[in-house]
Amino acid sequence: MAGAGLLNFGFEFVEIFAFIVLATVGLAVIFGMMGIINLAHGEFILVGAYATTFAFAASVPLPLAMLTGVVLTAVYGLVLERLIIRHLYGRLLDSMVVTWGISLVMIQLTRIVFGNTAPGIGIPFGQLPIVDGPVYYLVLAVVAVGVLGGLYALFMWTDFGIRARATMQDEATARSMGVDTDRMYMSTFAVGSGLAGLAGALYAPVMTITPEYGTGFLIEAFVAVVVGGASVLVGTVLASGLLGTVNATVTNVAGTFMGQVAMLIAAIVAIRLMPDGITGLLADWRESRGESQ
Amino acid sequence: MATSDPSVKTTPAVDETGADSSRILQTRGLRKEFGGLTATDDVDFAIEAGELRCLIGPNGAGKSTFLNLLTGQLDPTAGEIYYNGADITGLPSHERVGRGISMKFQVPSVYEGLTVAQNLRIPLQQVVEPDAFDARTREILERFDLLEQWGTVAGELSHGQQQRLEIGMAMAMEPKLMLLDEPVAGLSIEETADIAELLREIADDDGVALIVIEHDIDFVETIADRVTVLDGGSIFREGPIEEIKADPEVKRIYLGEDH
Amino acid sequence: MSVESGDGPFAALRRPFEGPNTMGNSPAFWLGLAVAVAVLAAMPVLFGLYAAEVGAVFLAYALLGMSLAFIWGYCGILSFGQVAFFGVAGYAFGIVAINAATLTGLTVALLAAIAVSTVFAAALGYFMFYGGVRDVYVTILTLVVALVLYTFMGQTAGGEWTIGDARLGGFNGMSGVPDLAVGVGSTGVEIGLLGHYYVTLGALVATYLGLRALVNSQFGYAMVATREDEDRTAMFGYDTTFIKLVVFTIGGAVAGLGGVLFTTQNNYVDPSVFGITAAALPVVWASVGGRTSLLGTVGAALAIQFVDYRLALSGSEWALVLIGSLLVFVVLLMPEGVAPRLHEYVLEYREDADPSPVPREPPAATEEVSD
Repeated sequence: MAGAGLLNFGFEFVEIFAFIVLATVGLAVIFGMMGIINLAHGEFILVGAYATTFAFAASVPLPLAMLTGVVLTAVYGLVLERLIIRHLYGRLLDSMVVTWGISLVMIQLTRIVFGNTAPGIGIPFGQLPIVDGPVYYLVLAVVAVGVLGGLYALFMWTDFGIRARATMQDEATARSMGVDTDRMYMSTFAVGSGLAGLAGALYAPVMTITPEYGTGFLIEAFVAVVVGGASVLVGTVLASGLLGTVNATVTNVAGTFMGQVAMLIAAIVAIRLMPDGITGLLADWRESRGESQ
Repeated sequence: MATSDPSVKTTPAVDETGADSSRILQTRGLRKEFGGLTATDDVDFAIEAGELRCLIGPNGAGKSTFLNLLTGQLDPTAGEIYYNGADITGLPSHERVGRGISMKFQVPSVYEGLTVAQNLRIPLQQVVEPDAFDARTREILERFDLLEQWGTVAGELSHGQQQRLEIGMAMAMEPKLMLLDEPVAGLSIEETADIAELLREIADDDGVALIVIEHDIDFVETIADRVTVLDGGSIFREGPIEEIKADPEVKRIYLGEDH
Repeated sequence: MSVESGDGPFAALRRPFEGPNTMGNSPAFWLGLAVAVAVLAAMPVLFGLYAAEVGAVFLAYALLGMSLAFIWGYCGILSFGQVAFFGVAGYAFGIVAINAATLTGLTVALLAAIAVSTVFAAALGYFMFYGGVRDVYVTILTLVVALVLYTFMGQTAGGEWTIGDARLGGFNGMSGVPDLAVGVGSTGVEIGLLGHYYVTLGALVATYLGLRALVNSQFGYAMVATREDEDRTAMFGYDTTFIKLVVFTIGGAVAGLGGVLFTTQNNYVDPSVFGITAAALPVVWASVGGRTSLLGTVGAALAIQFVDYRLALSGSEWALVLIGSLLVFVVLLMPEGVAPRLHEYVLEYREDADPSPVPREPPAATEEVSD
């Protein structure tokens, strides 16, 4: 039945697209704003998942449990930023190495404190009719789009967003115009962490929660950030769309693993064609149009 | 790695198009467009060995673009570049350098983490045998008044010393053509005089052709054999400095756009 | 270059390995190194075969660490995925060796495994460097490659993932990998437990000396110049893209050599060699030991893995916490790592002792009138 096949493919795409967006967006905010690739991104996701699952186990309603996950991760990110990350601004590679150290510590501490498993959460909302999959995946997709919309609003319309973009474009100028760039970095890191926590919280019912839970998000997140380039929103949306399409198509034909490999190959080809990511390509395109007009 | 390629492309077509062998460098119809913007507009340019040419013009006149086309950091949209009678258009930067084109950047860009001697070693090993490194290093450092700084980390040198080191590094390549982008920007009066003397020497004694982008018109007057004025990507005037200074049209484009 | 290498005993012998690109150019340094190697060589004698068995793994790790110090410390290419080459070589050896467990077969397996990791690094490097991929993007891409290999090897549990007699085995890993052997037909040696330790130590020392000679050669200067300022270096006529490709490829070969020695020691390899934790270790060793010091990285690898081993042996789970914290603190407090800091102290001490330190002065003029 071609119709059902198409519907299944569409569902697959929506599922993967949502996953890439949610896995990436926290990392992308921090990378786009601060140029730091947070190697502990997976473990920030882990914090969100653990907070959610333990809150849920303590009979907090699921939405509130997830909110707990988001808030706790944001606070956690804020603390780390103040304690460690802020000493590393301007030292890009060092900051990556240090966040990796943090990642190692967090994985192992989680294992020591909570053991190798955590209480599970059943997938809410039941199964979809016709296509083979839970309703919850559609909810995730809606949330993913909502997050992108929210970020758009935050960056375009709020005072914070304007300052953030100014800092992103030219830190020195922003500072000379009275923007407290230190504070901007701090809030950005917290927002990015919170978004990572959101991914952890949202996927807590879907994936088995172990100390390595966060690692499961890394391939998609890193690839999408690299393909997307430095522009948080446009980059994330386009990269997720591109990678999601490739991944969903190949997964449909040849299975999950081949989907991942295809995504990596797509990423390498994409980077071969546009070394600065999609964002860089767009910037060139805009520049050439702007100049010809 | 030394890339002095013997298979220089000397096609007969070069001479038919009129490339003159007395000229170390010549461009024909050199053009560079970015999107819809023409940064370099059909430039026909030539310089002889031992000549010191200054390139002036208002901001956005296309001076840096022109230099970058010569070094190969940019590829032209159209036109050719002849060096020593051979067509070098499309050759990668490192091969042009191997043939004797040397570039000094606007901001002093020495290797700040390496010592002065190590800095010199990078260009030197491209052109001389290992057993001559120390002798050549000493020779160059003496000439550029940096012998005392042999083992000093380049990042700790003064601005003027860094400029001299960078010119020394460019000279270590034994170039026939040297391109300099604002070599005295940010230097003191004495340092500027030093550099002026050095550049003159390099042109007169070493017979190197120099193309110098410069804003400081007094400096241009001290050093230049001839001056080329660029405006809007094309050559606006060319001639001895006195002529250029007296030209009311040149004054107009400067006053109109830059000052 | 004779500027930093003093005269002293064996000056001519030492010359190829000395220069301002490496630390430790004095007779005292080489004496210390000889003592250290002698101590490592005495380990099995002092502590028995068991020490050889455990120690060989650390030495193989040291090769992996050195591959990163070489590309990162000397050419500025930060790869988070050196384990990819380490693991790929391990698997490649296993696949060939299990299918051809003869002297000739095992020799071929050794060469094939190193060739596979070398070609793999060259191919990846080609795509990255000629594709204009730089800096952070290189770092992340290499890590992603390792993680994808982890996922790939993890899903090879099924019977369809059998190559000849070699079962890849998914997360259970590939077991029954034969010991190392070198020879043709019936003449040659099978390398047993003790032999393997000395082969690994020999490989480590030889690789160290080889890389040291390389970084002090003309090519080494080009590497260092590329690390310091790539665009500038291109303007001196260096093909920096090619330099990076060559360096990255050599790094892949060295990591591959380590991978083979690691796999043959354990007679086993599993996907965890590609995992995020394993991938972090070379970065820890190079950061802590000092990425601009090959020997510092080797020392850090040996020390950290030894502590890790002792902690695991005593049933403690805190090793990774310790390693991660160590990484954070070292980068915060001593960004260049331990060995360069030590080197500075030694230089200061020498300057105090001798008011005219060698490296700060031009060589005497008489030295160069020889030609």
